[in-house]
Amino acid sequence: MLRPERMRRLFIAAPKGEIDTIIRELYRHNVYHIEDFVPESESPEELSIGHPLPGASDAASALINVRAIEKACGIEPDNVEIREKIPASKVRAMIQTDLPAIQKTVKDLVAKRSDLESCQKKYEQRLKDLEPFAAFPLDLESYRGYSWFTVFTGHIAHDVSIDVPHEKYFSDQVDGNMIVVVVPNEHREGVERTLLDAGFQAVPVPEESGTPADNLKAHAEKVRKASEGIAQINKDIEEIRDRHTDFLVACDELLTADVERAEAPLRFATTEETFITEGWVPDDRADRIQEALKKATGDRIYIQELEIEDDARVPVEYENPTFASPTQMLIDIYARPRYSEIDPTLMVAIVFPIFFGMILGDVGYGAILLAMSLGLRKIVKGEGGRMLLKVLSYASVSSIIFGILYSEIFGSALPWPALIFSRHLNIGGAAGGHGPQVVELMIIAIWIGLLHITLGRILGIVNARKIYSGKHATQAVLSHAGWLGTMWGIMLMIWAFYAIPLMPDLTGLPVVAMGLNVAAVVGVVLLVAGILGIAQENPLELVELPTIISHVLSYARLVAVGLSSVAIAMVVNYIAIGMIIEPQLEAITPVGVIIIIVGILVLLMGHALNTALGLLGGGLHSIRLHYVEFFTKFYKGGGKKYNPFGMKPKFTEE
Amino acid sequence: MVDVGMTLEMVQASQMGMKALGAGLAVGLTGIGSGVAEMGIGAAAVGATAENRDVFGLALLLTVIPETIVIFGLVVALLLLF
Repeated sequence: MLRPERMRRLFIAAPKGEIDTIIRELYRHNVYHIEDFVPESESPEELSIGHPLPGASDAASALINVRAIEKACGIEPDNVEIREKIPASKVRAMIQTDLPAIQKTVKDLVAKRSDLESCQKKYEQRLKDLEPFAAFPLDLESYRGYSWFTVFTGHIAHDVSIDVPHEKYFSDQVDGNMIVVVVPNEHREGVERTLLDAGFQAVPVPEESGTPADNLKAHAEKVRKASEGIAQINKDIEEIRDRHTDFLVACDELLTADVERAEAPLRFATTEETFITEGWVPDDRADRIQEALKKATGDRIYIQELEIEDDARVPVEYENPTFASPTQMLIDIYARPRYSEIDPTLMVAIVFPIFFGMILGDVGYGAILLAMSLGLRKIVKGEGGRMLLKVLSYASVSSIIFGILYSEIFGSALPWPALIFSRHLNIGGAAGGHGPQVVELMIIAIWIGLLHITLGRILGIVNARKIYSGKHATQAVLSHAGWLGTMWGIMLMIWAFYAIPLMPDLTGLPVVAMGLNVAAVVGVVLLVAGILGIAQENPLELVELPTIISHVLSYARLVAVGLSSVAIAMVVNYIAIGMIIEPQLEAITPVGVIIIIVGILVLLMGHALNTALGLLGGGLHSIRLHYVEFFTKFYKGGGKKYNPFGMKPKFTEE
Repeated sequence: MVDVGMTLEMVQASQMGMKALGAGLAVGLTGIGSGVAEMGIGAAAVGATAENRDVFGLALLLTVIPETIVIFGLVVALLLLF
């Protein structure tokens, strides 16, 4: 909670003879994040990168084969449902016995399929070439082989008359017309000019014999046979996929593990007789893995816990309650927290849905989004997508709750008046009650902004004390306090001069000096002290002072974006129901029924559009308030992802 | 210089109209301003994100900075209207 998982830095050294055992044990526990060994100029000369274990290249080439089969069969291991776990020993035996046969079958089938495909393409092209000639009852041989005559064949814009002795065929049944002219060689040029004037485009005569019609039939038959063959092969491949998917994904998993294990020494430092590795283990599992390693090697291993020197090198793993963990996705999009920094996931997990609900507070839209997020969960398979859907489902529940409070369903009122501030606009004269309480809502939004930013600054102080040390830490803390002082100083001064609803009214306090009352004086003092606090860290930061106002006012979008969504919903209702459907209901006519149907369509389209807009507006603006207004106050980010060496077997078991 | 023919209601109505016009101008013009400002930043941010996925957070942050302009406009408009 609030901090990434605590890590311990382990230093492991052992004789090379134990490397296999140790890698196997580390892999099985799946907790050790290897720090890759990078030879540098200052590292001792005796240390060099290790060599892969024997069998690495065999496993790698077998893995490539398995992946090739998977690709040919269209198997994606990430999307395969786990039916049963196959024992690893059985998979290994099957890799020896079954895999070569499957590989051969699939390879043959794929090769045959590509042959058939090229054959199909070839004959399709020939069909296309032949088609124009099918219009004439001539054998293909009769177009060529003359020494005294020239044959013109091609497309032409219109029929032409030729004034020399000739033989001519014309057809307008073909696309672009088709003309065949045979003339003696001495008239060739003249005829060619006549033809070109009529837009002649030569078409070569296919190198075939027989009548075009017969050839067309034969080619079409060949194309048909080829596509039949392809369909049959696809069916065969599908059969193989159905029969062997479980085995193939198990192979993939097992061989991936083999390759990762065999290549692990590439990430270690080795001497002639020993190897050394450094890495990270979560605090609560560090003891267990140390014991396991000692036991596995019979104490032929040296393990030492090292001090954590640089927090940028520590891999970061989230540690959050279950309901907050999907929100980690949103934090990762921005940046993973650094090791010594506060992890804001929990706060975002609570506040994000509240902001979303405030913006899109509507029972109807909330219910649609909830149904959507629950329904899509079955279709979306990726990890990230599922997490986003979970976040969306929390947000839509919050939207429903706020919808009940605002008394809104698809822009119309629920049977009760708004329990908190009303957002019912007066569109089409439909709104009852006292209309929208925009000013009150805005002030609430400003309050939320003030508190959210104050929380951010306080977290900034906590972070500054954790990340920096000595003078730098004090400066950073004072600067954060300065920003807080400036903000609240400005607020106090505003309150001292203006009475604002829902905010403390300090106008009545006794005047102290220069027409300023107590609150105003305190405000001025805070403001000046705050500015000094900011300036002592970096005077340049003073140009950022206006952001105090802009960031607080930015929270007004919680109301503004929400109101625009309410307005769209009400306008849709007014157009569809008030203007299209209701007038027709007074006297129903056949045309009226059609108009009513159009009205219903307008209603559905409008609300579908508004749901999409609400999802975008509610989601993006809520997350933006976190990224821009909240995170900039304290959050650095840039931690490395904790990526333990090992794998959780999904399809196999030891 | 109030026209003698105008009644109080007419004056009030025209005041409302002026307010609505002002509110519309406030949102519309600031919206254009934000759009122009975000145009360049957004294009550059998309380019940078395509080169390196890790800068997405920073890119989004930089892109939405000018949005403050339209939020100010919106605040002014809402204060004018209500």
